[in-house]
Amino acid sequence: MMPAEYFLAHIWMIPLFPLAGAALMLLIGRRLPNRAVSAVCVGSVFLSMCFAFGAIWQLIARPAADRLVSFNLFDWVPAGAMHTNAGNLMDLHVPWGVLMDPLTAVMLLVVTGVGFLIHVYSIGYMGHEGGYYRFFGYMNLFMFSMLTLVLANNLLLLFVGWEGVGLCSYLLIGFYFLRKSASDAGKKAFIVNRIGDAGFLLGLFLMLGTLGTIQFTELGPAITAGHFEFGNGTLTAIALLLFVGATGKSAQLPLYVWLPDAMEGPTPVSALIHAATMVTAGVYMIARTNAVFSMAPRALEVVAVVGCVTSLFAATMGLVQNDIKRVLAYSTVSQLGYMFLACGVGAYTAGVFHLMAHAFFKALLFLGSGSVIHSLSGEQDMRKMGALWTKVPTTARTFVVASIAIAGIPPLAGFFSKDAILGHAFEHSPVLWLLGFITAGMTAFYMFRLVNMTFFGKSRVDHEVEHHIHESPSAMTVPLTILAALSVVGGWVGWPESLGGSDRFAQFLAPVMAQHGEETAAAASSINSMEYLLMALSVAIAAGGIWLAYRLYIQRPEMPEKIAASSGFLYRLLYRKYYMDEIYDAMFVNRTKDLALTLGAFDRNVIDGLGVDGSGWLTRFTSRVSMWWDSWIVDGLVNLAARVVWILSYPVRMLQTGRVSRYALFMLIGVLIFLGYYLRSSGFTLQNLLH
Amino acid sequence: MSLPLQDLCRVAPEIVLCAFAMLVMLLAPIVPRARHGILSTISVLGAGIALAATRFPAMYPGAAYSGLFRADAFSLFVHWIVCGAAFLVILGSTSYLQREDLDAGEFCALILLATAGMGIMAGAQELLTAFIGLEMSSIASYILASYKRDAPRSNEAGMKYFLLGSFATAFFLYGIALFFGASGSTRLDMMTPLANDSARTLLKMGLGFIFVGLAFKVAAAPFHLWAPDVYEGAPAPVTALLSTGPKAATFALALRILADVGAASPLWFWALWVAAVLSMFAGNLAALVQTSLKRMLAYSSVAHAGYILVALATAAATDHAEAGIAAALFYLVGYALVQLGAFLIVAQLGGPGERHVEIEDFAGVARRQPAMAACLSLFLLSLLGLPVTVGFLGKFYVFNAALESNLIWLAILLGLNSVIAAYYYLRVIVAMYMLREPEQEIAAEPVPWTLSLVLWIASMGTVYIGLFPARVIGFAAKAALNMR
Amino acid sequence: MTPQIAVFLVLAAMAVAGAVSLILQRHPIHSALSLIVVMVSLAGLYLLLGAEFIAAVQIIVYGGAIMVLFVFVIMLLNAGEEERTNVSRMARFVGVPLGVMFLLEVAYWIARATSHLAPPAAQLVSTRDLSTLLFREYVFPFELTSFLILIALLGALVLARREDSD
Repeated sequence: MMPAEYFLAHIWMIPLFPLAGAALMLLIGRRLPNRAVSAVCVGSVFLSMCFAFGAIWQLIARPAADRLVSFNLFDWVPAGAMHTNAGNLMDLHVPWGVLMDPLTAVMLLVVTGVGFLIHVYSIGYMGHEGGYYRFFGYMNLFMFSMLTLVLANNLLLLFVGWEGVGLCSYLLIGFYFLRKSASDAGKKAFIVNRIGDAGFLLGLFLMLGTLGTIQFTELGPAITAGHFEFGNGTLTAIALLLFVGATGKSAQLPLYVWLPDAMEGPTPVSALIHAATMVTAGVYMIARTNAVFSMAPRALEVVAVVGCVTSLFAATMGLVQNDIKRVLAYSTVSQLGYMFLACGVGAYTAGVFHLMAHAFFKALLFLGSGSVIHSLSGEQDMRKMGALWTKVPTTARTFVVASIAIAGIPPLAGFFSKDAILGHAFEHSPVLWLLGFITAGMTAFYMFRLVNMTFFGKSRVDHEVEHHIHESPSAMTVPLTILAALSVVGGWVGWPESLGGSDRFAQFLAPVMAQHGEETAAAASSINSMEYLLMALSVAIAAGGIWLAYRLYIQRPEMPEKIAASSGFLYRLLYRKYYMDEIYDAMFVNRTKDLALTLGAFDRNVIDGLGVDGSGWLTRFTSRVSMWWDSWIVDGLVNLAARVVWILSYPVRMLQTGRVSRYALFMLIGVLIFLGYYLRSSGFTLQNLLH
Repeated sequence: MSLPLQDLCRVAPEIVLCAFAMLVMLLAPIVPRARHGILSTISVLGAGIALAATRFPAMYPGAAYSGLFRADAFSLFVHWIVCGAAFLVILGSTSYLQREDLDAGEFCALILLATAGMGIMAGAQELLTAFIGLEMSSIASYILASYKRDAPRSNEAGMKYFLLGSFATAFFLYGIALFFGASGSTRLDMMTPLANDSARTLLKMGLGFIFVGLAFKVAAAPFHLWAPDVYEGAPAPVTALLSTGPKAATFALALRILADVGAASPLWFWALWVAAVLSMFAGNLAALVQTSLKRMLAYSSVAHAGYILVALATAAATDHAEAGIAAALFYLVGYALVQLGAFLIVAQLGGPGERHVEIEDFAGVARRQPAMAACLSLFLLSLLGLPVTVGFLGKFYVFNAALESNLIWLAILLGLNSVIAAYYYLRVIVAMYMLREPEQEIAAEPVPWTLSLVLWIASMGTVYIGLFPARVIGFAAKAALNMR
Repeated sequence: MTPQIAVFLVLAAMAVAGAVSLILQRHPIHSALSLIVVMVSLAGLYLLLGAEFIAAVQIIVYGGAIMVLFVFVIMLLNAGEEERTNVSRMARFVGVPLGVMFLLEVAYWIARATSHLAPPAAQLVSTRDLSTLLFREYVFPFELTSFLILIALLGALVLARREDSD
């Protein structure tokens, strides 16, 4: 390695800074003043960011064909030479190694860049909270895990980071542990993720057994060398198992349930972990192992459909939420669905592009919502907001920028990435495109419903709170501004050729991605006119969504009330805030905790839907269905699983009576069963006995 | 005929253990009760010297005493586990014995003698020798379990263990007799080709009964019912020993039989398969609903026996058993470290008389005793199988060995069980970190330095082997290759 | 029926009857006496197999020394008639049939296996041969047994020394 490429040679140090910070915090953090805590923890992430940016810079400086750095630090999991049943010599060696290529570069940019901004923001946001050192310690630990995940050069090391971020996510969701809901949400997140992890591990071992390697750079050659035919069953199985892991971590159907609950954590956590970085790990993993996925069209089909359906499904749920963070949570699930849709149609580049753009604007949205919540002394209910535009000007402006970006209005980041995905989806299957297209409209609608309810219209803020409304400190607003700038310009790197750009982002990532046979330049140019049409349609539906939100929540804010008045009882019911809060709690907070409460959830959902958001009946209906699905089928299944486990453990508990004679009896039964088996295997039959 | 001196070298660790046990017994009446700590010190020294004395069998590998005992890489590996466990348990229980006002002399002597028995099990190549080793460790265990004579629970535990253990011993002994009847010898490595079908039937039966005896000792379902009661009732340091040392030694014996007796593999395979699945489910499902941490850990140890049985089934499934044997050995190391640490923490935090071993008593431990909470969390996360701990790699190797031997279902059930297990391990961590402290104040006793040292070793080992497993797994693989 | 088999059947019946009686007797002293019957019948069986040394040891050590200790302890403790706890229904209706079933299964199996087995050549193992075996080839487990007994002794010490602690 040339000394000139100092940063590239030292990429392994990137995760170590936050690790040191975390260790320091968790060991002696309690005795440090807040100022020292923030200096250490933010400083460590800053150092990581400098190293990461240096490495990215040096990577780009290399010629395009040579943009790959991979080296092993030490041999981590060896197994010695051992024979296996298959007769081959198992010589397993999994190194602890790092990999730097364009895909890693993008992820590093997102993780360290956005991570640093969020750390800075947290100084302001967490300033008055208890457990300041603990928060930053966990955050640094998270950064370490996430950077390990991103820099890993093999799947097992990626899994280390994968579990690490899961653990940190659990710790941070449960940060306000005195709230029972918070620790429950943390536990739920962890356990749901474990289900996915089991699939991940199985996929990993199957890959190891089939391809003989789990090094990312060797996957492609191993597949070529193994002469697998396109659509090979084992490769499909590997891909599907890995995807199970991805659905857990990236909150896709049917394992998405933990993410909305995860909003119990502090808002910077939601921004960092549950929007910008950790939840995108599934997308990253699929992009990383694209060599396998590209050989498994069936698996890709599943990925595409699951992603597409999740995005639609989550968007409909986002339409009716009143908690500002929950709208964003459902929106995150929905946008992750887009990324999986992209991967599923073979457009990994588009998926990663959206991942990056999404990291910018969704982090901004969460941080903005945090700023709003901060200024409203902890209020999260949008019905108690409104007309904040002039009171929190910086937050409001940056928030609107992010909303435009996510809605997909050019030339902001979201437009380019979403358009790239929809374009590829259309080539693949118009049905998928249509679903994605509808979702885009809903996205625009619910985002601007949120914007309108929060920043415009009449103020519904509580009086006591109203006196304290203030713009957040500059530690919070500066990151917002930077992210807003990124949300505007971040998409320009992927300016498509059809609009006179050169899509440098795709070119940058191209060496990492498996070449997909179908996507040739010729095919792309032949549907050029189609591409313009699709773009125009996307912009149109986004604008339509924004217009509808404007009309319902600004122009005719009395409309929901009118509809409410036509059913007087409901109107009165809902006009009382106390009652509403209770329903709200029952529906959204406690819903997943108690099977019994879900019995009444359907009615309450309808009541809520009629009274508060009495417009858009059709979309409301679909969202009801999905809410119903959410509370009954999905949570029902989770609860059912818990019940089943409980019931299954019943005989075990019954046996454990404490009486020795019964234990001995049980042992005897065991002996009889084992003996019976041997008798059978030694040719014992009833006939034998009779002879 | 080898030189007697070499034979003595091959059993050097056992000699050291027995010698120190007798030394301690002789000193016990002389040393005034107030200074019984010195007996613990001597015993710790003894275990440490025994650990060092494994150098001798390493220098003179081979069969000793006309082939009844064998010093090879495998027995060496198991010796490290059992002697290490004894070392850590004696060191970690010093303060416990003082707190509970128990005699240190007999306690340490019994642990040393039990360890000698375990060492013999690890090296035995003949069933009667193995049986005596097994009985040495068992009888010592019965007594240790009821060591707290004034506690009814402890007495009950010892009694139950003794009764059921004798029951299992009877099976084991009967199995040896049938084995002898079939092969004309109790040697494991000198199986003559069986004369006819009848001998084969006898052998099958004999091995079946031996399996029952061994399955009881490792607390594998359906012979595990004693474990929760005994583990809960016995003094916590004893539980720490019971759930590690004898288990490792018994697994070693089972592996030795699998490797040496060709007929055992096809015969035991399904028994191992079924016992593994039953143990995993019985242990994990029952652990879900426990309220006592000690009892929960007991059930979890049943589940872990199941995981190790998966490795054994893997070894039995194939002609090339090395991967399975190595995985089992590696798993045992990690499991022993973590389980020891966890039970010793329970012994400390349980307070005088071990009155606070309910999970709810552990609420808020993170604030009372942050270091202990961190250690226990680490151990639980390792039991859970989180990466960068030794527990993850243990599961990894078992999982890998199972898949390489095409035992896909076993691997899937293992994965499923580690999901179930997440729930109850997390519950303890949640309690320690996220729940309010209980109403009545539980006094935070200062942690004695001996226990700190043990926990330090255990947690460092957990992370270090999790990060750099090369030497351990390398040696395990060597041990596995050396067995035939 | 050869005389050997006749003697075997008598001794075996005695041993089994003694064992059953041992369990069913209420008074410990009666149980101990039943145990003597078992020990002696077993000694007879050993004799029948030509193992005279073991038979003698069986009588001297088990039938003699150990039983004396048993009876001594029972007398010393002045143990009275034991109270009959009502046997759990589970044990009676499940345990007993299962136990019988287990016995039958094992018996059938062994019978089947050994019926084809050639009868071993009748051989008398002399005491000299036995001791050579014991002190040469099996000296290691033999010595270990002393430690096993030591552990048992230690256990008796630990468990018996109840209230003496200062």
